[in-house]
Amino acid sequence: MNRRAFFTGFTPDDTQRKPHVASYGTAIFTNAMLRTHEDKQVRFYDDLIKGRQVIINLMYATCEGICPTVTSNMVKIHQALKERMGRDLFMYSITIKPEEDDPAALKDFAEMHRALLPGWTFLTGDPYDIETIRFRLFRWNHIKFDTDLASHTGMLRIINDATNRWLMVTPLASMFTVLQHISWADPPKSFEEKLEENKAVQDRINKEVKQYGYRRTT
Amino acid sequence: MSGPRGKKEPTKTKAKKKAKKEEFELSRRTMLKLGAAAGAGTLLAPMVLTSRKSTVYAQDTVPEPVLCASTPIPASPPTTPFVDMLPVPNNAVPKVLNPAPTQAANIAGGEAPRADHQRWNEFLPAVNYRLEARAATHQFHSDLLPTYIWGFNGKYPAETVLNNYGDSSLVRFKNNLPSPTTSFGTPEITIHLHNGHTASESDGFAGDFFQTGFFKDNHYANRYAGIDTFGGLGDPREKMGTFWFHDHRAAETANSNYLGLNGMYIAYDPTDPGHEFATPESLQLPGIYGKTDIPLILTEKRFCATPTNGRNELFQVVGAGAPAGDKWSVNGKLQPKMHVRRRKYRFRILNTGPVKTWNLSLIGPDGLQKPWTLIATDANFLEHPVDISNRTLDVFVASRFDVIIDFAQFPVGSSVYIKEAQAQNVGVATPNPAPGLLIGNVLMRFDVIGNAVIPDTPPIPATLCQMPDPLVPDASFTWTFKLNGGQFQINDLPFDANRVDHVVLKGTTEEWTLRNDVLAGNWLHPVHIHFEEGRIQSRTTRPDPINNPGLIVPVPLLPEELGRRDVYPLPPQNTVVLRMRFRDFVGRYLIHCHNMNHEDNFMMVRWDIVETIAELRKRRQEIAQYRRQMGLPPIYRKEDLA
Repeated sequence: MNRRAFFTGFTPDDTQRKPHVASYGTAIFTNAMLRTHEDKQVRFYDDLIKGRQVIINLMYATCEGICPTVTSNMVKIHQALKERMGRDLFMYSITIKPEEDDPAALKDFAEMHRALLPGWTFLTGDPYDIETIRFRLFRWNHIKFDTDLASHTGMLRIINDATNRWLMVTPLASMFTVLQHISWADPPKSFEEKLEENKAVQDRINKEVKQYGYRRTT
Repeated sequence: MSGPRGKKEPTKTKAKKKAKKEEFELSRRTMLKLGAAAGAGTLLAPMVLTSRKSTVYAQDTVPEPVLCASTPIPASPPTTPFVDMLPVPNNAVPKVLNPAPTQAANIAGGEAPRADHQRWNEFLPAVNYRLEARAATHQFHSDLLPTYIWGFNGKYPAETVLNNYGDSSLVRFKNNLPSPTTSFGTPEITIHLHNGHTASESDGFAGDFFQTGFFKDNHYANRYAGIDTFGGLGDPREKMGTFWFHDHRAAETANSNYLGLNGMYIAYDPTDPGHEFATPESLQLPGIYGKTDIPLILTEKRFCATPTNGRNELFQVVGAGAPAGDKWSVNGKLQPKMHVRRRKYRFRILNTGPVKTWNLSLIGPDGLQKPWTLIATDANFLEHPVDISNRTLDVFVASRFDVIIDFAQFPVGSSVYIKEAQAQNVGVATPNPAPGLLIGNVLMRFDVIGNAVIPDTPPIPATLCQMPDPLVPDASFTWTFKLNGGQFQINDLPFDANRVDHVVLKGTTEEWTLRNDVLAGNWLHPVHIHFEEGRIQSRTTRPDPINNPGLIVPVPLLPEELGRRDVYPLPPQNTVVLRMRFRDFVGRYLIHCHNMNHEDNFMMVRWDIVETIAELRKRRQEIAQYRRQMGLPPIYRKEDLA
């Protein structure tokens, strides 16, 4: 265990975490030094992203628009995926107002939302770094969106660095849909495993057609 | 062969083929070695060697791309204008499929899950095609090295699927995309035939994508809408001609289309039979595919400034929407030329996006705009052809415009140009090809090389089709497009494949109002509605939404809006009222903005067609209840729920 791992407890076993050969690594994620709600220092890529499946959202502690709903929905996601959280799936909430949100403010926010849960980290840092991360992770190559701080705060970015898979979903969608999106970034499955999955989906479709006359869910 | 198709790249000699084979053998050996060694190569090699169809994969394996830096945004390399001939995609060749297609999904055989094909026994497929999505390379210009693409059967644009009304077809879409991939695409596909009157399970619903290694059979009835009421092939007045198929994967449509997953699908009927002979019902329009009937598939591209690994890759950033292009591609070539003879030609103009709107005009050798005749909008004939000679033809994403150009008006030896209002980055200093026409504005060039060899068709008939009867709506509904908290929404909600936002009854007609609530100076949304063609009733705008929100001004409809449409351009503050029907099939369908970056950013919602009134009521009440729970304004009136 290296020194930083000892302090942060984020990297129990570094050898297990292999990024995909095509991962952009620090070139896109940056390796900015951030602070967690527990006031620990972490490197964004090395400690948080590398080789992992992660769910990232943007927030700030005093946000009263969409943020509380998003956070409460993320609590539900956490409950649904409790078994995996902190093991092979991680959640990161990054403040876009780092000047206001110090680690203590983030901890208060997390406590208020009952979000102090394993595998879920709230992050603050240097405003420049945060802005870079926000732009890199949530850009749409659209000048209006990409320069608007209010954009994307309602989105969940799902990344699996081990397979170089990037997805986005709105946490306001049904839990069924959100979990479906997260599963699309799961580690690769064998053809046989996928076949089994397809069989299960087909059974559901057949049931729906029988009941409603047509397929209802995706 | 003569004509544009004959002028493609020279055929490969046997020696070259052999050399290529040896090269492949070598690369396979290299990969074997790499597989044994540690390092980055191990990640790729086992995928090739242990795959179920290793031989097929190995042959098709195209090295994955290395993406270039995104800051600063690169300018594409220079390309000399008018070097390449305009290619015309070949027509797809029917295949015998193994395993044979079945009404129920052949899960054990590797088919993706789906509901059983509707009306299968009624419309058993007369012809089968197989289109495999896979990585390949394509050379966009002779000055450029090959570019990594995703193409159907490895080609961009895909082969054109030619159909006759009355003969059902089945296309097996196989996903053989590299997974995982180092490119910016997501290797999961669901293919939509735009705007087929297609049963839901074959409609490429955005949430129904499937992974590498699997296939899905899309069943296209090739019947006119109105099968139930008209019998036979349906209502012939609902005839459509120029379709296109493209990937529709939720949130990833822009990138996979930017990579090349699209192609054209043409349907012929007795009035437009795909030939020029005088048959009883034929309109005798220029109609020999590849000779006098030419697709023009438009897309924007941006290439990395410098080559990597012997390739000029497309520029893109992982996880982002498609970037704005700085090169205009026609049928996969930049500023191509086409040899034409002094006679009429039909061009099927298709905008495959992802984002750009094209404002096109025809420019003669004297630099002045010349007329072209618009005969069809979004695959539907106009009642009367329209000459356009004093304005641009505005082609929004996914729109199709069929125009006829009569080259008999130009002398032999002259050149004629299609001009695009927005200049592209050519990078090679070139004098103005015609007076006042800058080279950057030239989309492509026609060289008039001689008199007609295939005799010209008679003058374009004054009446091209009979419009279906005016529609009397059974119900009405409003779709409001807005930007809320930095998120695109329709009726206050972003896309969720598992949520229904409106339910209609099979066999009914509805009047739909499309409203764009963003402020002026923001986006125009080319709104696309799946399933059937609509008729625009009116268009209005609010010129001063802030100070005088009640002021509503009618906007006169353009001639191209008078026919049947499936893409409805919706500028800020505009309201379009249209009527459409929902016949013959049930299931899940979509309404969305066809700016693919908006669509991927969830500006899309699902609506369903149901069979019974009981089901309709139940579903509408569920929607109303959901909206109450979410604190959203109601969308149904009392009578809609009764």
